[in-house]
Amino acid sequence: MDLDTVKERAGPRQFSPDDDMPREYREAATRMIQFHANSEIMGAYLERPFIREAPSLDRKLAYSAKTQDELGHGQLLYRAAESLGIKTREQMLNELANGEGKFLNCFHYPMESWVETPMIAFFVDGAAMRRQATLKRTSWEPYAHAMDKVVFEEGFHIKHGESILKELATGSKKEQEMVQDAFETWWPRIIQFFGPTDDDSTHHDFSAEVGLKQMTNDELRQSFLNQYLPKAEKYGLEIPDTPTIEQDEDGNYRVAEDELDWEEFFQIAKNEYDPGRGQIDSRKRAHDAVEWVRETLDEYETTASGHAPQAAD
Amino acid sequence: MIWEVFRQEGAGKYHTHCGNVHAPDREMALMFAQIQHGRRKPTHSIWVTPQQEIGEVNEDGATFGGTTDKGYRWATQYNITAAAEEVADSESEQADAEKERGRR
Amino acid sequence: MAATESLSGPNDLDDRERAAVESLLYRLADDEFVIADRYTDWQVRAPTVESDIAIANIAQDELGHARLWYDLLEDFGHTEPELIWERDPETFRHSTLCELPFAEGDWADAIVRSYFYDEAEHLRLEALEESSYPRIRDRVGKIVGEEGYHREHAENWLRRLVGGDEGRERVQEAVDRLFPYALTLFEETEEDAAIDDLGIRTRSPSAMRAEWIETVTGMLTEIGIDARAPATDEDGRVSTDELPDHVGRGGDHTDHWATHYDEITNTYDELGRDHAARLMEDPDDE
Repeated sequence: MDLDTVKERAGPRQFSPDDDMPREYREAATRMIQFHANSEIMGAYLERPFIREAPSLDRKLAYSAKTQDELGHGQLLYRAAESLGIKTREQMLNELANGEGKFLNCFHYPMESWVETPMIAFFVDGAAMRRQATLKRTSWEPYAHAMDKVVFEEGFHIKHGESILKELATGSKKEQEMVQDAFETWWPRIIQFFGPTDDDSTHHDFSAEVGLKQMTNDELRQSFLNQYLPKAEKYGLEIPDTPTIEQDEDGNYRVAEDELDWEEFFQIAKNEYDPGRGQIDSRKRAHDAVEWVRETLDEYETTASGHAPQAAD
Repeated sequence: MIWEVFRQEGAGKYHTHCGNVHAPDREMALMFAQIQHGRRKPTHSIWVTPQQEIGEVNEDGATFGGTTDKGYRWATQYNITAAAEEVADSESEQADAEKERGRR
Repeated sequence: MAATESLSGPNDLDDRERAAVESLLYRLADDEFVIADRYTDWQVRAPTVESDIAIANIAQDELGHARLWYDLLEDFGHTEPELIWERDPETFRHSTLCELPFAEGDWADAIVRSYFYDEAEHLRLEALEESSYPRIRDRVGKIVGEEGYHREHAENWLRRLVGGDEGRERVQEAVDRLFPYALTLFEETEEDAAIDDLGIRTRSPSAMRAEWIETVTGMLTEIGIDARAPATDEDGRVSTDELPDHVGRGGDHTDHWATHYDEITNTYDELGRDHAARLMEDPDDE
C-alpha cells in the first residue's frame, strides 16, 4: 500500500497485519506503541516499592493488582508493536534496558513517599486514560484491540488512585500538608505530560494523517484540565501559581507554557535526566539478572521437550 | 487433520472461533474454511490453526479469577464517583463483566 | 484421630481453646502475609512479562488468604493495626522460610521456595477441612481453590529450569539452602498439643512433615536434583541439627525480618496512621 492510499483510507482500526503497510507507517506506529509499552513498564517500575509500603492490607492488594495490570498492558502493547514487523519484544525490552527506549516524562522522576502515589495513580494515569480512550480509534487494529482491554481495566486504576488521594486529603493535617507539597512538586510535570504545544511536536502531523493519533496534544491537555483540575480543587488542593493557568470565556484553559521547564523536559526525552537514568539502570540490573531464565526457556523451547507430547485425537 | 477456524466479520473487529474443517494442510484448510464458514456471514478475514496445536484449560482444571474476594481489582469496589467519562465507561464494562461472572 | 465435638464460636471458647485457635491462626496468617510480600519483590522484575503477571497473582492470592485468617483473629477483638501495622515484629509467628530475601535474579529461589511452601500449604489446608473450629473450617475451601495453580506453577517451572545447566545448578543450590528453612514450616510450639487434642487440626505437624518430605524428595529426585530426607526420631521429629538457626514459629527470626518489617510499615509510621483503610467487604458478608 502506498502512503497516499494509507492517508486516504486512514480510519479507526483500518489496518491490520494482513495489509502491506509502507515502512513509514510501520516505523511511526512502532515508535508510538513502543513508547506507550515502555511507559507501562517504567511507570510500574516507579510504583513497585509502594506495594510493599502500602499502609493497609487492602491497599497492598490493590497496589499489587494495579502494578500487575500495568505489566499486562505492557504485554498487550509490545505484542501490538511486534505485529508491525519492525522490532521484536526482546529488542524493545533490551532497548529499554540500555537507555535507548523512550517513555513518559513523569516516570523519570523519583517517587519517595506514599503521598506522591496519587500524583501518578490519579493524575498521570487519568491523563493517560484520556489519551488511551481516544486510541481505541487508532488505525492500527492490534493497537486498538490492546486499548480495548487497557481502557477496560484502567477505570480501576483511576479510582484506586483517587481513593488514595481522597484518604490523604481528608486525613490528618499532616497528611493534607504532605499531599499538597507533593502536588506542587508534581503539577508542572503533569501539565507537561501532553508535551509542548503541537507546533513544537515533531511526530504529530504524520501520525494524525495516517490515523494513528486521534487527538492533538493541545486538545488532550485541554480535556485533561477540564476534567481533572476541578477534581484537584474538590480535594482541597491548591493549584500552584506556576504555570499560570487562565480560563477564557468559553471555559477553556490557557496554560502559560513558557513558564515550564522545557529544558528539563527535553533532557528527560533523551533519557539524560539523572533520576530517570537511575530508574533505567536499576531496571536494567534486574532485567539482566534474570537473563539466565529467559535463556533457559529459549533453550527449552528449541529442544523437543518444549513440545509436550499430544494425546491422540 | 482438523483445523480450527476463526472468522473476523469486519476490519478492526476480533477474530472469533466459528468452527472447524477437515483438511490435509493449511492451504486446503483455508480453501475449505472460506466456503464452509465465510460464504454467508460477513467476513473480512479467516484464520486457521491445527486443532492439536490448541491448548486448553477450562473450569474443571482452573479457578479463573480466583476463589477468594478480589474486589480490590474492580473499579466498582471503590466508593468514589468516576472522575471522567472514560472512567465511568470502564466501570460499567467492569460491572457487566462482574455480573457475567456472578451468574455462572 | 477420633472425631472431636465441634468448638463453638469465638466468644464462647475457654482460655485453652482460644489460645490454641489464636496460635494456629497467627501462624497461618503470618506465613501467608510475609511470603506474599516477599513474592511482590518480583513484580516488575520477573524474567518475562508473562511470568511477572503470574507471580503477582500468586502474591495477591496469598495476601488474600492472610486477609481471611487475620479476619478470624479480629473475632477476638484484635484490629488490623494490632495484627500487622503496630505489632512488635518479634511476635510474628511465620516460618523463616517466608522471610528470606531473594538475591537479585535468583528466580530459582522463588520457584523452589514456592514449591516447598505450597506443598506444605496443601497438606496444612487438608488438615483443616474437618477442623473442629467452624470459622476455620468454613474458609478452607475458598483458599484451597487457589492453591492448585500455585503448586502447578511451581512444579512446571521447576521442570523447565532444570532443563539447562545453569538452571539445574541454581535449583540445586536453592534446594540445599532452603530445605532446612522449609522444615520449620512444621515446627511445633507449646500450643500444638492443644491444637491437635481439640481437633482444630486433624493431622499433626510431624505427620504432615513426613508426607511432605516424601513428596518433595521424590519429585526432586525425579527431576535430577539431590534431596536428602533429614534424620528424624520415631515421632517424626527432625533433629535440631537439620534446622536453621532461626525457626520463626516461636518469634525468633533472622535479621532480615526486622528490616523487611520496617519497610512494610514505613508509610504507616511516616504518616502517623492509627487505622488501616478497608476497601473490601467484610469476608463474612461476601
